[in-house]
Amino acid sequence: MVLKLYGLSISTKTRSVAQVCKELNVPYELVVVDIRNGEQKLPKHTQNQPFGQVPYIDDDGFVLYESRAIARYLAKKYAGQGTPGLIPINDPKAEAQFECAASIEAFNFDPFAYGVAWEKVFKLRRGLQTDEARMAEMLATLNTKLDAYEVILAKQTYLAGDNVTLADFFHLPLGTMLEGPGFELDIFSKRPNVSRWWKAISTRPSWLAVKDGA
Amino acid sequence: MTLKIFGSSLSTCTRRVAVVCKEKNIPYELVSIDLAKGEHKAPSFTQNQPFGQVPYIDDDGFILYESRAIARYLAKKYAGQGTQELIPSEAKAEALFEQAASTETSNFDPFASGIVFEKVFKIRRGLQTNEARVAELATSLNSKLEAYEVILSKQKYLAGDNVTLADLFHLPYGSMLRPAGHGELLEKHPNVARWWNDITNRPSWLAVKDGA
Repeated sequence: MVLKLYGLSISTKTRSVAQVCKELNVPYELVVVDIRNGEQKLPKHTQNQPFGQVPYIDDDGFVLYESRAIARYLAKKYAGQGTPGLIPINDPKAEAQFECAASIEAFNFDPFAYGVAWEKVFKLRRGLQTDEARMAEMLATLNTKLDAYEVILAKQTYLAGDNVTLADFFHLPLGTMLEGPGFELDIFSKRPNVSRWWKAISTRPSWLAVKDGA
Repeated sequence: MTLKIFGSSLSTCTRRVAVVCKEKNIPYELVSIDLAKGEHKAPSFTQNQPFGQVPYIDDDGFILYESRAIARYLAKKYAGQGTQELIPSEAKAEALFEQAASTETSNFDPFASGIVFEKVFKIRRGLQTNEARVAELATSLNSKLEAYEVILSKQKYLAGDNVTLADLFHLPYGSMLRPAGHGELLEKHPNVARWWNDITNRPSWLAVKDGA
């Protein structure tokens, strides 16, 4: 049975899973969840995803949510196909460095990147107003964090070492939003090593295939 | 050589590593970093941890940072000793562990750490609490814990019926919610309260909760 991905075509986390599927050559069927009309809060959805969020997968009856968990599950299940080494499993130190990079993304990038996107885009879509002070705070912190990325990426090609891993990919949806039209933040382009890394990951065919829709 | 943890005895993230060391019977030496003096921002520190945050470890010359990455590395390196299966080995059980670990990352930590930052850390630094923000964070955390309540009504721990790192990762900020004035969040839902009572009374946590 084809992997079912329950989500929304433009959702950041749905596209995150879709991109990993493309890297692994794993076919999937997007089952659209009608977010506009609150379908994600209905029992039919929350019985599978108790937080009422997207995405979740149904892999032949095995239900799993949280995009990073789904990506990890697929990378391990399909380790023999597509891009190898998306989680380095044969070398404990390489694996530890992957976990460090994955944690960097989750705690030193995502909260601040999301904070900026929330103020500049998501709030407006919900008819709320941007809190300019908070946005400035989030952006200032994000810039400080990316200064550390610049140091890390001066010594190695990708965040976990010299091979691309899931940790790099997890940056794609929000990173693409922040460097896209309407933002003009230059957060990647003003840092040479970060810019090199960003260009490498954001031009991968797997991302180009889904960036405008899972 | 004994594992060295470079951190601070009361730091949340340092204690997150320490509790896992206790679970796995891994001896460690805490090398104290003077946060008040900004030692974590000095080149001698940032050469090992470029974000200038505690903790990092030196495991016989192998440097690693990010407390959850350190915990995972140690749980795997010492898989054969102490509490077993803190990261499950079977594929689906492992996926459910990753789901629980990611839940802590996105649906607990931002809100719990945000409340603790506003109500405790800012005060220590002579700054003022943003009470509106605390109220917002508490409301969000409460709604997340309602989902935890559903999950924990069907199973003993967050990833299934055995304790995993995902449960332990909640301990440092979760246990600071009470001093931050929001302890009721973990006490008001029966299954969450049961789970919280269980993990906070583990000998490993009792050993480090007041200092790594």
